[in-house]
Amino acid sequence: MIAGTRVIDFHGHVGRWDGTGMRDDPDEMLRAMDAVGIDQSCLFNIFHPDGRTGNDLTARFVKRHPDRFIGFAYVSPLMPDTMEPELERAVDHLGMRAIKIYPSYTPFPLDHPAWDPVYDFAHRRGLVIITHTGIEPTTAPRFLSQVAPRFPGARFVAGHAGNVEPFRAQAIRAALTCPNVFLETCSSFRSPGVVEELVQKAGAERVLYGSDTPLMDPRCQIGKILTADIGDQAKRLILGENACRLLGI
Amino acid sequence: MVKRRRAGETGTGRGQRGLDRRPDLGDNPGQIHRGVCLDLQKGRPIMTTLNFRARVPVFDANIGVGHLRNRASPFESPEQLLGEMDRHGVARALIYHLEGEAMSALEGNERLLSWVDGQSALHPQWVADPTPESLAQLQQLHPPGQLTSVRLHNTRDCGLPFVDWIYGELLEWLAAERIPLWLSLADTPAVEARETLRRFPDLVTVLLGAHYIHSLIVVPLLRQLPRAHLELSRYEGLGKIPPLIGEFGIRRLVYGSFYPRYAMGPMLFSLHHLGLETSDLELLCSGNLERILKEGEDR
Repeated sequence: MIAGTRVIDFHGHVGRWDGTGMRDDPDEMLRAMDAVGIDQSCLFNIFHPDGRTGNDLTARFVKRHPDRFIGFAYVSPLMPDTMEPELERAVDHLGMRAIKIYPSYTPFPLDHPAWDPVYDFAHRRGLVIITHTGIEPTTAPRFLSQVAPRFPGARFVAGHAGNVEPFRAQAIRAALTCPNVFLETCSSFRSPGVVEELVQKAGAERVLYGSDTPLMDPRCQIGKILTADIGDQAKRLILGENACRLLGI
Repeated sequence: MVKRRRAGETGTGRGQRGLDRRPDLGDNPGQIHRGVCLDLQKGRPIMTTLNFRARVPVFDANIGVGHLRNRASPFESPEQLLGEMDRHGVARALIYHLEGEAMSALEGNERLLSWVDGQSALHPQWVADPTPESLAQLQQLHPPGQLTSVRLHNTRDCGLPFVDWIYGELLEWLAAERIPLWLSLADTPAVEARETLRRFPDLVTVLLGAHYIHSLIVVPLLRQLPRAHLELSRYEGLGKIPPLIGEFGIRRLVYGSFYPRYAMGPMLFSLHHLGLETSDLELLCSGNLERILKEGEDR
């Protein structure tokens, strides 16, 4: 809670990536969250293409602190037959509240039909899909401008908001042209003025705070919002009010 | 002219400058201490403000000025830079010219002069490359007392390995004159940094730009280089800084923003929320840099 605003971190991971020193130690993650008033973090495991393995790990992780962590389901078109049944299992039985996709781990761009079963599932269920966006050929945010109108029941969140130019401009354009596209802020680039630009061009009601915890420290990433030259009401929307609205919590 | 805020005044959002806004405590009024109070039910700290400004003196160790050939800077004058510093509560900054790092040390250093002339809050850092002309320029700057630190040019941009048979003369002179060297880990392979700096054991260094991709490198590198310090602008892996303090002590760490490549405020905010004692936070944010610039590490 920051100044009476419930704070939701919309982008976090379960799993280890030892080469970068990333490990999902819940105590360490909670310590960082507590230090800056983050109430809940949204988590997903993207390291297993079958979906089930990672989703079970996420569910187990969330179960230890259900008031602090929110699980998102992960599936991959690398194993297409598993996608829909795994989404049903993760959402209906594991309690996952949204979906994460990671096109960088596949040969399929965001607008490839291989992703349609995921989009269609989210459309029918009214769910949020957060996707990595950035410089990789499969993750260009411009694809969202084509996909989001086809699945109006789904809400799409551009993770990292494209990360750098010209992809950030693509992400903003997608948000401007599609009412069901949102922009999430975590990025290791931390360029000055980005949060201000997202708010100015897309509107604060379309921007979500995320950190990439535990790859990155949520304290530094939330610092991007709190030190941005934007108004307090914009900060409240970005820090949690938009996320609560999207997730229905 | 930049109007300075007094210590303790809060930063403000766009369109809200100068307003006196009291923190909203929600339903959990507790004792407020530096923008944080305690949740009486859950025992967790509660942030009470949506804004941030440093609460200790800050001396930024890593700010580049001027435009790059492929990137325009968001500020064009010392006054604009001072305004951004003031917004975050940064009192002083060590600045270098980006052109010097990327293109020409000689010309970049000349352009830096206009940025520091008459600016007591902006301290010059001169860029060096391995040419005789560059060393001569540094030697010319040294007697007037202007040379308190040197930053190595971008070795990767020009394809030069950081080896003693190219940089030896420069490094030998810096070590002899006890002038600390800033070296970018983003631009210099860690193997070269380790091998070369080990040959100059008296040289004090500040290693810049470590990223989470350097997580497995930083600790062994600091063990190998006892006179090296780590600048923290990009080092934001979760929980990575406290173990460094535990093993190497607070004196080996230095705050820098890497502005304008990175926003000035986020890492400063983060360091303020590591749970450090105020005295350690002061060392991290200004004291260590002051010491390095004034006296090398321990002379």
